[in-house]
Parts: sequence; C-alpha cells; structure tokens
Amino acid sequence: MTLPPEDRMSELRQLFFETAAELVQKLNDEAMRLEKTPGDAETARSLRRTVHTLKGDAAACGFRELSELAHEFEDVLTLENPAAAALVPEIALRAADVFAALLESYQKGTKTPAIQTLRADIARLARPEAAGGGNVKAKKKKTAAKISRWSEYEQMAIARAIDKGKRVHHVIVQIDPQCAMPIAGRQMIQLALAGLGELLALYPLEGSHDPIIQVEAALVSEKPAEQIRAKCSIPTIGQSVRVTPLRVAASLFGTLPVSAGNSNSEKKSKATSPAAAGSTAKIADGLPEDLTAKDGPLVADAPAGPAVASGPDNVLRVDAERIDSVLNLVGELILAKSMLQQALIEFGQRFPKDALRGKFSDAMAFQGRVLNELQHSVMKIRMVPVDQLFRRFPRIVRDVGLQCGKDVELSIRGGQTDLDKSILDAIAEPLTHLVRNAVGHGIESAEERVRAGKRPQGTLRLGAYHQGNQVVIEVSDDGGGIDSEKVRQRALAKGLLKPEQAARLNENDTLELILQPGFSTAEEITELSGRGVGLDVVQSVLGRLKGTIQIETVRGRGTTFRMRLPLTLAIIRALMFRVEQRLYALPLNAVAEIARTLEENIHQVEHYDVLQLRDDLLPLLRLGSEPPGGIDGARRKAFVLVIKSGERKFGLVVDALEGEGELVIKALDDQSVTTDLVSGASILGDGRVVLILNMVALMERFTRGRADANGPKMAGLLSSLASLNTSEIATAAAQVRGTAGGQS
Amino acid sequence: MEKFAPVTRSEDGQPVRYLIVDDSVFARKNLARMVETFGGQVVGEAGDGVSAISEYERLTPDIVLMDITMPQMEGIEAAEKIVRDHPSARIVMVSSVGYQENIVAALQRGARHFVQKPVKAEVLYEVIKYVMRDDGTTARGAGAGA
Repeated sequence: MTLPPEDRMSELRQLFFETAAELVQKLNDEAMRLEKTPGDAETARSLRRTVHTLKGDAAACGFRELSELAHEFEDVLTLENPAAAALVPEIALRAADVFAALLESYQKGTKTPAIQTLRADIARLARPEAAGGGNVKAKKKKTAAKISRWSEYEQMAIARAIDKGKRVHHVIVQIDPQCAMPIAGRQMIQLALAGLGELLALYPLEGSHDPIIQVEAALVSEKPAEQIRAKCSIPTIGQSVRVTPLRVAASLFGTLPVSAGNSNSEKKSKATSPAAAGSTAKIADGLPEDLTAKDGPLVADAPAGPAVASGPDNVLRVDAERIDSVLNLVGELILAKSMLQQALIEFGQRFPKDALRGKFSDAMAFQGRVLNELQHSVMKIRMVPVDQLFRRFPRIVRDVGLQCGKDVELSIRGGQTDLDKSILDAIAEPLTHLVRNAVGHGIESAEERVRAGKRPQGTLRLGAYHQGNQVVIEVSDDGGGIDSEKVRQRALAKGLLKPEQAARLNENDTLELILQPGFSTAEEITELSGRGVGLDVVQSVLGRLKGTIQIETVRGRGTTFRMRLPLTLAIIRALMFRVEQRLYALPLNAVAEIARTLEENIHQVEHYDVLQLRDDLLPLLRLGSEPPGGIDGARRKAFVLVIKSGERKFGLVVDALEGEGELVIKALDDQSVTTDLVSGASILGDGRVVLILNMVALMERFTRGRADANGPKMAGLLSSLASLNTSEIATAAAQVRGTAGGQS
Repeated sequence: MEKFAPVTRSEDGQPVRYLIVDDSVFARKNLARMVETFGGQVVGEAGDGVSAISEYERLTPDIVLMDITMPQMEGIEAAEKIVRDHPSARIVMVSSVGYQENIVAALQRGARHFVQKPVKAEVLYEVIKYVMRDDGTTARGAGAGA
C-alpha cells in the first residue's frame, strides 16, 4: 500500500460515511425490532452495540457532536433503566434520524442540525431512577496521595517473607490523571506486578469504589528495582513509579512503610509516556483536522452493501464511476465487434471462397462470446440487491402508520433480487411515494376494515423479482382498492380529462390518471402521502428509466402497483426497424409480437387505424406518414410491432424491420433532438445511427390520441425527425460518452 | 502525520505482525492505518470473536488488537480462548471508557493491555512498544523514546 496519506484519508472518510449510514439503518431496524418485542435482551444489546460502534467511528473521524451524542445515548442504554425501557425504541428512532441528519451535514459540509431535543430525550431515559445512579464518573480528584495501611494479615505475610530473606519491594505507581479507565489501569498494574514475582498486597482492592489515584503494592521479587519500574511504567496508565525496599522492623506494627529510603524516585517515567501530556485537546490525532471539512465530492455510490459487519471478507469498495467507465469501454468494444462483423460480411462477399473467412468468423465468434461474458460480469458489478432500498421501508411504514393511526404490517419478499445501482437509486423516491400512498390512502382505518370483515391490521407487501430481462417491483396493499369512478370524477373536476375523453377511457387507463401531475386521490392532502406532489413522480421517473407501471385494483380487496424496470440502463437488447428510411429501435422486451400485413388490411374505426389480429382489433399508431392513396398504397407492405404494456396493447406501424441487436445507449442532448419521443441514440457497427424510441412517450401519445376524438390523427409521429441531420447526431452521440444510466 | 520510529520484533528485527479484530470495518481500517505508520504489518482482520480465534490459529500474529463489543462472540471471550491455547499471545483490548469492567475482565483472562477508543496513534504506539518488549526477560524495546 503506497497511497499518499491524503488519499487514504479521504478513503477512510468515505468508508466512514458508508459504514455509518449502514449503522444508522441498523439502528432503525433494531429499534423497530425492540418496539415489536419489548425487553428483548439480545436486540437491546445489539442496539447498544450499534450505537457504540457509531460512537467509536465518529470519534475516530473527529465528528464530535455525533460521537458525543452516541456516547450519551450508549451510556443511558447501559444503565438499562427498567422504568424507561419502553421509551428506548422511540428515542432510538429519533436518534437514528438525528444521526442521519448529522452525517448528511458532515458529508455536505453544511450546518449541523439541532441536537438539543435528542439530548433531552436521551436524558429522559436516565431519569426515572436517576438520583446518584451507577453512572457517575469518578471525576473528583483527591490530590493527597494517601498511603494505605496493610491489613494485619498482609503485614504478617510481608514480615514472614522478609524473615525468609526474600526481597520485598514497596511499589507505588501514580495513575496518569488522564487515564480514563483507572480501574482497568489498576488491573494492568496488578498483572504487571504479578508477572514479576509474588504479590503480597495491592491497594486499592479490587471493586473498591474509591477513586484510584495510585496503586500501592508489596511485591516479593528477585528482579532489580529498575526492571520493576520499567514494567510498571505502562503507557497511559503508570505515570511515575516508586520502588523501594521494605524493611522488617517497622513493618510489624502500625503503618507501612516508614522507609521510603531510595531517594532517586522516578521522574523519568514521564519520558516513556508522552501521551499523558497535552494531547487530549485533539481527538484522534492521527487524522488531520480537515477531515471534518468537506474535501471534494464524495461518491457514496459504491455498493455499500453487506460488507459492513460481515468480517474480513473479500469485499472491495469501488467508486461507481470507475465501474461506469469500464462499462463504457465494454460498450465501445461491442461497437468495435459490430464493425468487425460488418467488415467480415463485406470480406465474405468479396472473397466468398477464401479460407481466411472461416478463420475470421471463428475468431469473431470466440471474441463475441468473451465479450458477452465480459459485459455481463461488468453489469453484475453494478448490481446491488433491492434490499438496500427495501430496508428503509419498515421505518417509513411504521411512521406513516402511526401518523394516520393505522396498524400496518409490512412484508418484504425478494430482497435479494439484484438491480442496477443507478436504477435502484432512481426508484427510491417513487417507491417511497407508492408506499406512503398505500399506507396513507390505500389501507383503511381499523374500524372500516372491521366493518368490511377484514383483520384490523392492514398488510402491505413489497416484493421484487426478475422476469426475463426486467425486474418487477410490486407494492401491494389489502386496502379498499381504488374506485375508478371516483378517479374519473376527480380527473374531470380537475380538468385533467375532457368529458368526451372520459367516456372512452377503459378501467386501466382511468386508473393511471392517478399518476398524472396534479391528481390526488385522498379527499384531503395529508402531509404524508399527498404533499401536493402526488404520484406523478412515479410516472416521470419510470419514463426516464424506460420502465412501466401497471395498476391492479379490486374494490374492497386492495391495490397492486407493479413497476417493471430494465435490469440496466446502459445496454439494451433492441429491435431495430425503419420508418421513412431512418433507423429506429425499441427495447426488445416491449415488443410482444410482430405482424406482417398489407396496408389494405388496416382499417379505420372511428378516428384511428386498427388491424384485425386474430380475434382482436389492434389499435395502431403510425410512426410514418399515411400511405399514398390508391392501389399502390393499398398493396404496400407494412410491419406492425405489437406493443404490450400491462393490459394495454397497441400496434406500431413501421416500414421495414432491420433486426435485433445489443445497443449501447448514448445520451443525446436536447439540442440534437427536441422531441420526447426519442430517448437516446446508438451507433451501429457500420456507423449508422439508430434513434431509440421512448416507450413511455409513445404510450402516452397513444392514450391521449385515443381518448381525444378531435385530436390530431395518429400518424407521422416521427415525420418531424426525418429532417434530422444524422451525422450531427452521430457526432453528438459519440461525444456524449453515454454514462451508464445516462439519459437526460 | 507524526513520524514513528518503527517497532520491530526484538528476536529478529522483523516488522510486528498484527491481527485486527473489530466489527466495524471503519475501526479496523483506522487501526490498520495507525499500525502501518509504526512499521507494522496487518496480516489479518476479523469482524467477530469466532473468526478472531480462527484467524489467530492461522496467522499467529505478534499482536492482536481486539474490540470488546462484537457480534457472535465478544472480545473478552475470544481473548480468553486465544490465551488459553496460546499463553504467549499478546492481546491488546480496544474499547471505550464505558466498558472498563469488561477490560478488567479481559485483563484477568489474559489480555496484555488495553487502549481506549478513540484510539490515539501515539498512545497505541507506546502500548505496542510496551507490549512488544513485555516478554518476561528482555526489557528492551526497539526505537525507544521516539
């Protein structure tokens, strides 16, 4: 390890924030467990240990408020005050909040939050039995070092030893006044002396309640005084050591010793314990002061994960950015692969019989396989279990439940499901909204539930699982369900929906209105779930992530919100197709089916195009312009991509299919492409640019167009893009090194 | 950062080999950083008492820095078990003021020394020097009086 100290320091500091966040989370978990099982000793111990570790780490890092608060908290926890035991979970939760706020302020270099309330709360835990409790620290110092009396028995033992001609030393060790643990210090000295010979007496006695200022002993030892002195000059404990021989005569009666003969009593021990003097002002001297100040951006992105408290395992903490850059390089490699493939095809066309062709394609196949594995390995590095996010929810559910007076049980499934870290971060907020909403509005009050013949306690399920190339995250409650008629009324009242649209909306479309900005289902906007923001954040985040949401509700039984998310944002498997000579792509998993047809099979129903597909009428959305009229137009071939999202199904009419492939997504800036229909671009091996369509925007156009009879015809959606300058996009796309997860 | 004269093993002048036991990764790294400035070599880490014992068996380090409060098996018990099988083990307990009784217990069960959290480098340094020279007869520490 040859990192310069500053690097190691910021590394340490980062490590501190990561582990501290884990500890705060743990504190939350433990407090809630303790709340459920009051008086559980193991949980209480574990909670105390968490506070203890947090205290230690914070102190070592020089974060004073945090370490002091944690220290005070730990102290009162140690008291195990039975009268206040019931308060512990609540105060631990508050402490977790304050600790989290403190950590955030340290990390961002902002003002630290107020901590007095918590202080008072903590003090409350000590109070009920307070008066002179066992916790008072022995801080009062008696200056006079009184010499103790040996007991009669000890005096006899000393006398006998001397009579036998043994050397008996009288040892007095001054305890370093800075020593915070004099009792342990006493023990150390006892050990040191016992290792040198036979201890005849040692004061103060073990378990004595007097403050320990010095330790005095009678020791039988043949070792020279110098060695005894050295042994007792224990760093941070033994400050000055006096070793004098004990003599017989006086020892038989009364007090001992009279004979402090040896005049060169020790001053030199000072030199061996420099720590004693003047270094208490600085906490954790090893760390430079600027540790507490902000030094550069802190990327807390690396998988913090289960590394904490799991012992000495082989876990590396890596800055997420570094992984992203590897992933980018892999993306470039994939691009290079398709370039090679393209070249190979040309080569094959030019020299169809050349033996070299086979060799090339073997090598290519091999390279392709390795590349594939490489890509997957890198992706895996970015994956973290959703549990990292789910862990927050027990606390949220509890808090929201308390505030609206509901008893809600949270059950979590599939916490081990892996998901790209950047996606996980992005869905934290929408998921929180969904959960708050479910507790606040979805689940009914206990009385209502009983009236409906349900258990008074509501249940909220949070689940995650993989499905193909996607991760599904579900929030599901057993509440009253959503009344779609009410939703419709409200949307009308709020002007989100025109009356003529309302009639056409099916159940599912209606439900999705609650995700519209400005919609709030609850009669009153609660501080909790409403906040005026509503669930529209869900929609906008999912749009960014190329995810979808589906709402299922059964009146009186409950509601399920099902989010589908891509495993990763950086690379997608896409279906490529052409519309008016331009190349586009859609995520492959959005396409349920591809149908081939002729224009003449496309019919007009009311104001939109439909295709008879087996037994269904499939509504269509035209990406290109309308076909020319007449027989030419009618015989024109068309491809229909059947898009299925939840219950909704529609077809996209495109001109030709180009095949499928893995696309490395490059973000586009707003200047190159102004429509929200395009979410990114990619470059193919032959240098062509593919525009990646935004599923959510397409879907939204579809819904809107369908509901609005007088709206524009749903054709030529992409016609405006025909004028785009491909080479410009290519340059733009190449410049924007698509950061993983990087859609603007 | 302060400069420390390296502490070495008196018998062969080699760097002191450490096993660091603490359930906080942060605390471990912090201690590791310190002992490295003393010229020490961290040969192993453990996050709980059980693995502390197995790591000790595997590595036979010169010094064990042992936290007291840990999951699974607390530091005291681990220290006791290590010393019972290896009487020459040098175990330094690392803990906070509030755990004084535990430290006393640990010392009675064979721990050699203790340092208080938050650990100060110069204190730990002195403790290490003391513990390393503390082998009964030879009373010479390397690099004395830093």
